[in-house]
Amino acid sequence: MPRSAHDCILLDPAAAAALADTPLGLLQPVVRDAVPTADFVALDDFDQTLRRSGRVLLEAGGMILLLQPDGAMLRQPGPRQGPSVSGLPEGPVKAALADLSPLRRLLVVGAGGLGRVTVAFVDDEGKSQVRLDLLSLQVAAGTALTIARPQALRGYPQAGADLRARIADCGGVPMATDNLCERLFPVAAVYDAKPVIALQADQTALDAATAIIAAYIPVARANEAGIIADHDTEFLHDYRIALRKIRSVLGLFRGVLDDGQTAELKARFSALMAPTGRLRDLDVALLEGTTYHDLLPKSVHAGLDAKFALLAEERRTARARLVQHLRRDGHAQEMAALEDLFATRTALRPGPVAALPARAFASRLIWKRYRRICRIARIIGPDTDDAEVHGLRIECKKLRYLMEFFAPLFPRDEFRALLKPLKALQDNLGLVNDCAVQQANLQLFLHGTGKRGRKVSLEVAQGVGALTAVLHRRQTEERTRTGASLAQFTSPQTARIFRGLFHAPKDRT
Amino acid sequence: MKIIACYSNKGGVGKTATAVNLAHALAASGRRVLLCDLDPQGASSFYFRVKPSRKLSEARFFDGDEKMVESIRASDYENLDILPANMAFRNFDVFLSQMKQPRSRLKKALAAVRADYEVILLDCPPSLSTLSEAVFRAADAILVPVIPTTLSQRTFEQLLAFFAENDLPTDRLHAMFSMVQTTKRLHADTMAELQGACPDRFLTARIPFATDVERMGIDRAPVTATLPNSAAARAYRAVCAEVVVRAGLDRDTGTA
Repeated sequence: MPRSAHDCILLDPAAAAALADTPLGLLQPVVRDAVPTADFVALDDFDQTLRRSGRVLLEAGGMILLLQPDGAMLRQPGPRQGPSVSGLPEGPVKAALADLSPLRRLLVVGAGGLGRVTVAFVDDEGKSQVRLDLLSLQVAAGTALTIARPQALRGYPQAGADLRARIADCGGVPMATDNLCERLFPVAAVYDAKPVIALQADQTALDAATAIIAAYIPVARANEAGIIADHDTEFLHDYRIALRKIRSVLGLFRGVLDDGQTAELKARFSALMAPTGRLRDLDVALLEGTTYHDLLPKSVHAGLDAKFALLAEERRTARARLVQHLRRDGHAQEMAALEDLFATRTALRPGPVAALPARAFASRLIWKRYRRICRIARIIGPDTDDAEVHGLRIECKKLRYLMEFFAPLFPRDEFRALLKPLKALQDNLGLVNDCAVQQANLQLFLHGTGKRGRKVSLEVAQGVGALTAVLHRRQTEERTRTGASLAQFTSPQTARIFRGLFHAPKDRT
Repeated sequence: MKIIACYSNKGGVGKTATAVNLAHALAASGRRVLLCDLDPQGASSFYFRVKPSRKLSEARFFDGDEKMVESIRASDYENLDILPANMAFRNFDVFLSQMKQPRSRLKKALAAVRADYEVILLDCPPSLSTLSEAVFRAADAILVPVIPTTLSQRTFEQLLAFFAENDLPTDRLHAMFSMVQTTKRLHADTMAELQGACPDRFLTARIPFATDVERMGIDRAPVTATLPNSAAARAYRAVCAEVVVRAGLDRDTGTA
């Protein structure tokens, strides 16, 4: 029988126990199946993807359970074979978690005890007319609740209706109306890699810049513990993006702070990023390893494995060095000083455009960047050099940052209409770039294999050659698609929206 | 969807025990099963503790009335529903004989639930009647329990003759030895003789004469559920495996 959104009901444990003990009219309760309490851990990634979507993922007694916001419960046998969602064995839970990033480790967000009992309400023949599943959760922090799932049986509609009425009388709340994760594992704040910054049109450009930077410093800091623990590679990635966004603000919001302070701050944030570069490069190279394995013939795998073993070794060293850096008092002091600088603002030195209204300032920056992209678009063709395409990619990234920073100041729907073709263009450009980087890396790999005193075997050279050809073909195809996306993004229709939003007479300065 | 009938024109051969355990074994293998208790004595319903349906008259059964669908009850086992018998079923023959095309009526009546199930199992009353003929026309496979005794052998031969005389599809007839006592010489001889006379007609699996099967009346549950490791339960699961192949359930797409 299909489950409706109201199938799972949250109950107070005492009420649930009474429910399971009390006859339902002439039907007597009989325990059919009881699983003794087992320890459980609740899992989620650092982005809190499950919490945000109202789902709860539990691992208990060798089973993996997923409580869905519509009240349905999925389960499959464990154990997990790896730290991320990819490490789950194939099953209904894994299928329902397809939206989780395979790069993210599933972290323990809570623990406790879990027990399950099924009670059948039987007639005078001993025949079940309705069943009740009770899942009891006792969280280490002291919270306890029971999830009740009445199961109507075909041919016994009255018993099903009676049980639902009884549950409602016991104070049951449909699970769909409550965020179970919040109830069980409340947290003061949830990590957000892209915090929404509440900007006002009449704020100054300086207000906007400081608000954005002040919001992104804590994002970077929130990732430090994950980098140190080496939970997954996304911590470092997010850390770097947060710092890069801050640097973008300093670079793009020219004249908001005085030139001397802008240069000083750019240098300080660059210094924070500098020790992370090598580790990130190695992370990316190692993540590409699986792709190479899938694409290259088996004869090349041994050479590939040796290469990646070396990279992994180098990564260990690079990570140890970064961890040491992050643990230094100097690093914490610098971060604290920067946080304080943008929180108190007293030491900030306004530049010539600091007092401009934020919206007018944003319009000017976005319009200028869009027009620059349009200019580059005019000279981009199928034969354009990779470096110029890469330049276009950087311009698009800057525009995207600007638009995301200032999104709260503009009409949502029109803004989305512009972001959609921009994202499509960025995706194309990203894939073109990935193909180019992978081809370059393959050449390095080939070079490196030969250099270690061994002659490059014919199989390796052939394998790498074949893969390079595949990547080159993909790159060419993606370049063609880029042309279409670029045409869409610079079309008169899109340009009209850009002009209307960012170059209206009131915004022209 | 396939229709499988558990049928014998002789009573007391273990027909209901076969229907009940086969239904449970098929459901346990993940197939959605409806067991129709067509015997007014309601033994199958009794084993599953399902009370007779008072509202389902023979007219409503054969008219494709909603009452037939409403009378279906979930059993206490996953994937297994029961259409319980009631005393009105004793008049099936009289009622069918008054209808046009009585022999195809049963198949039409069951069409109302075909989308809900992969297997409909019919536990038939022991007679050779209009209802039996309707069962023979409707079923994709007819499973006949045969006790390896002279009397049972004679009854089975009568059934084969009836099929031949009435141009019924004999390839749908599948027999199985029931209540077998290996210590009895007569049983061994009869089985050898019948298998020689009807090669391929008999299933390889044989149901032993077992107290565990008799106990079903006390436990009111299939022996495949209560004593899954018993010899009887193992034998019923072996029967199930053979029936799956013989009835074409292993290649059924569910759209038939």
